Amino acid sequence: MKDILRILIAPLLWLAAFSAVYGLLGLICGHGIGGTVLGLSLPRVLLIAAYGLAILLQAALLAALYHPRLAARSGFVRFVSRITGWAGLVAAGYTLFPVAVTSSCL
Amino acid sequence: MLAGGALIFALVMVLLLLSFTRRAPAGGEARQLRVWVIGLGLVFPLAVLGALLAYGLVIGERLLAREEPEVIRVSAEARRWTWRFTYEDAPGRRTEGVLHIPAGRPVDVAITTADVIHSFWVPRLAGKLDAIPGHVNTLRIEADRPGTYRGLSAEFSGAGYGGFTFLVSAHDAAGWAAFVEDTER
Amino acid sequence: MNALERHRRLRAIWASEPGMRGWLSTVNHNDLGRMFLLTAFVFFGIGGLLAMLIRAQLATPHSAFAGPQIYNQIFTMHGTIMMFLFAIPCFEGLAIYLLPKILGTRDLAFPRLTAYGYWCYVFGGVMLLVAMLLGIAPDAGWFIYPPLSGAIHSPGINTDFWLIGITFVEISAIAAAVEITVSVLKYRAPGMALDKMPIFAWYALITALMILTGFPPLILGSVLLELERAFGLPFFQAELGGDSLLWQHLFWLFGHPEVYIIFLPAAGVISTVLPVMCRTTLLGYGWIVAAAVGLAFLSFGLWVHHMFTTGIPHMGLAFFSAASTLVAVPTAVQIFAWIGTMWKGRPELHLPMLHILGFFCTFVIGGLTGVMVAVVPFDWQAHDTAFITAHLHYVLFGGFVFPILAGVYYWLPHVTGQRRVFRLGEVAFALVFLGFHVTFLAMHWVGLMGQRRRIPTYAPEDGWTAINLISSVGSFVLAIGLAMILIDVVLHVLIAARGKRNPWRAGTLEWAMMTPPPAYTFASLPQVDSRTPLADDPHLAVRLARGEGYLATPREGARETLCVDIASGRPDMHVVYPANTRLPVTMSALTGVFFLSLLVKFYWTVPLALAGVAILACKWVWGNGRREDPEPVQVREGITLANAATARRSPGWWGTLFLLSADATFFGALLFGFAFLWTVAPGWPPPEWFAGAMVMAGIGGFGALIGPAAMRQAIRANRRGDTALPGIGLALVGALAVAAACAAVMVQTPAPMGHAYGATLLVLGGYGLFHAGLGALMAGFLAARVLRGFTSRVRQAEFSIVSLWIDYLSVIGLLVLLAAYLPGLLS
Repeated sequence: MKDILRILIAPLLWLAAFSAVYGLLGLICGHGIGGTVLGLSLPRVLLIAAYGLAILLQAALLAALYHPRLAARSGFVRFVSRITGWAGLVAAGYTLFPVAVTSSCL
Repeated sequence: MLAGGALIFALVMVLLLLSFTRRAPAGGEARQLRVWVIGLGLVFPLAVLGALLAYGLVIGERLLAREEPEVIRVSAEARRWTWRFTYEDAPGRRTEGVLHIPAGRPVDVAITTADVIHSFWVPRLAGKLDAIPGHVNTLRIEADRPGTYRGLSAEFSGAGYGGFTFLVSAHDAAGWAAFVEDTER
Repeated sequence: MNALERHRRLRAIWASEPGMRGWLSTVNHNDLGRMFLLTAFVFFGIGGLLAMLIRAQLATPHSAFAGPQIYNQIFTMHGTIMMFLFAIPCFEGLAIYLLPKILGTRDLAFPRLTAYGYWCYVFGGVMLLVAMLLGIAPDAGWFIYPPLSGAIHSPGINTDFWLIGITFVEISAIAAAVEITVSVLKYRAPGMALDKMPIFAWYALITALMILTGFPPLILGSVLLELERAFGLPFFQAELGGDSLLWQHLFWLFGHPEVYIIFLPAAGVISTVLPVMCRTTLLGYGWIVAAAVGLAFLSFGLWVHHMFTTGIPHMGLAFFSAASTLVAVPTAVQIFAWIGTMWKGRPELHLPMLHILGFFCTFVIGGLTGVMVAVVPFDWQAHDTAFITAHLHYVLFGGFVFPILAGVYYWLPHVTGQRRVFRLGEVAFALVFLGFHVTFLAMHWVGLMGQRRRIPTYAPEDGWTAINLISSVGSFVLAIGLAMILIDVVLHVLIAARGKRNPWRAGTLEWAMMTPPPAYTFASLPQVDSRTPLADDPHLAVRLARGEGYLATPREGARETLCVDIASGRPDMHVVYPANTRLPVTMSALTGVFFLSLLVKFYWTVPLALAGVAILACKWVWGNGRREDPEPVQVREGITLANAATARRSPGWWGTLFLLSADATFFGALLFGFAFLWTVAPGWPPPEWFAGAMVMAGIGGFGALIGPAAMRQAIRANRRGDTALPGIGLALVGALAVAAACAAVMVQTPAPMGHAYGATLLVLGGYGLFHAGLGALMAGFLAARVLRGFTSRVRQAEFSIVSLWIDYLSVIGLLVLLAAYLPGLLS
């Protein structure tokens, strides 16, 4: 079961992060959160911070999947779990990048 | 987009056909994986899709209903099976089935519904936007020249859905002024 | 013992009852798989006929063929039948029939559950058909958006048929998914480590996990909408704090993964059949597994792309647009790995291969138009037009029907043991292919010209007449092609031309047995050392029949198999299956009474039916046990295995775990709904917060905390040889305390009919109460088992199962109480 988890964990983390950032956007727009921090709008800062956190977590997870003590014993599971690990990282970077460029509540 | 799609489809078909004529596999399994999975499976779509996404987002941003001084505001309320339009510039004026707008100026349509979900769609002026109970959605439309444009409700709404259409009448400056003043009288 | 005698003895043990009785009492995957597939194809035929009616209606302008009332029922039922009564059950049937054979074991994990799921599917499907024959079928579109489907605008019983019938059918999907998951993980041939699993098993596993997490949001949505329709709880009414968008979110949270739940099994068929047709092995097995996993997860992040026109902020749309384009990447990995496989081998144009080529042509177009509609501004134009209808048919017909037809022709010789005589299938394929593309290419075109989906008719001035006529003609060609396939299959079955045992020279285990397959599949279970055991040893079938494998000696009339360690495939348990029984069909009939009572609002039979189901469930589980410790069994020279009843993690524990993961998704979706209404719906905050007595929260919290500890104490005591009863009793008390607290939430919730907040708390409380009741029932059941001597220090499997339920109850109990009390305290 641990081996199955190793394969599933990175995309699962992506799904959680993706939903969380979407939820954060809903919260910001639903409650009209505004204001500025350091010249940037507060919603933008919050969203970009969440984006950064998501990427950081994915990268940490990927590193764990490469770590000799945490990686699977089976060569096959190691291979697949690292691909899905990379997939999670790329997906987080790709699908959440609109936080940096699009307008948030229009 | 259609042409690009056709090109990719053609590529896949050619590769499929060639598999019947080509005999010697190109190199070992590792090399084949590099070509098929990494090259064609990962890199190629990522490049195409990334470009397409960026293009879509730029267009999408441009279509948003941003604050502008010149904007005309109207409201559209759907009910089964008619649209009622009201006008900020002409308070008290209400039209049914025909939306009047000035040509050459951006118009924000505030869309909502009195009963079920409908969708406001004037194919030649903009994309569609839903009318959802309890919510008001704003769609930016703009008619380049005066004329009559066909509008449709594009969300299934029961028995009368098939005939649920409306018209948008775009006026020139004089016509619009006449329409607005008509109310004051 | 020689091969023939082994066959006779095994056949006696595994045989279904003769005649009609056998249909009702069989629990064997061989029978049920074929019954599932047959029923699914009957529904495919019915759905196809409805499609013909739609095309007849649209063939000419101002059509007087059917009025909007009837036409709306026709297209709603077409979509509903194809999605819920054909595609998903067809996958289930294929997996049920194939998995034990391809994995090298004798049956699925829970045979009686297979049967229960099948009968739920049949009864639920029949409910919908009856509605259609009576002319009161659902008519609000297959995704039945409220408020159109709400009580005000659809006052008739039509929508109730959809909500209740489909929920009933979904029981079978969840049952099959639990079954398939546990079977793939635990029921494999010895030695079949994860990397030696046939690729179809990977696809089936991933699909089953997706069903477990994809269907609960739909079930929740159906429950909420039915509660609104029947009892006026306003979840989707904007004026009372509800929001119709909540339905769209719940529906598409299911609806998008659904597309991939349909596509992935078909991809599994292709990955299995294609390499055999090309006389080679699959290119990039590991990559394909990873791509399927990636596809599965990405598909859960796409649901909002069905809602691009609902006025969600552009950034939100951008996330989903990005995810929707990204999902094409793992799809491309699979497509190109398959083409690479063709380059690697020598493709031969057998009939299954033709259908696979049909898949490539069709699905690639569907994928490309899919990428187009993932681009937001394009979707704003194309949404709800015939373009979308055409796109989704390219995806589903290309991505499911063609591969399944390939599979049908590939495995038909396995099911019947015969070969095709006439070359009808090739002509049929040509007609299907041509007819399909004519129909739906035309539909793309007319969609771009502005024809909306679901309109009952149009005017000649619209300028769509010629295209629609072409499309309709194409659809009738398609129908003729499909009818010819039906004739071809029937002829194949009727004309007894004996086929070869492994006609395609495949390498997977399902061909290492006689055909048609005997109920016990393998006379002895193979030892597996590669992904293509049959290619390594072409005489494997004969050797297994001779008993040169595991469990070669039938004993005590028991249906035996063994379980393996998930990762390594090392054998770790000996399993004895239950035999033929009519319990599943009876229980699903009673379940049907429950749903039917709700449908016709005959509420006093509801508790009776529920009690009946509970009693049968207890009987079901009660029959499993033994009163003496089972001896370890020698499954092969030098390998002795303990019985599953002695395991801490028995098959039942695994099944419970995955059932609970579906349950948890349901609960998560409910919490999501609560949060969604709170942040998005108009009319919040509610006029009044919940202000229950804190003492009830205390009691509930205490019960939730004490339960898991008590169960653990019971397990420890049992293992020491002490009595477990005090621990179980305490767990029972804990469950009752949670029940009381949840009931208090339900009673004291403010105005459940007046605001969605109160209604949501009512449902949360009800959810908690139901699970607390279930927990109490289980603790009571376990106590009875202990008293009657069905457990011992060794026979401990039931303890860990009940413990899992009590743990789950504890978590959701606390969350329910938190959700109820916290907002009131904070404000």
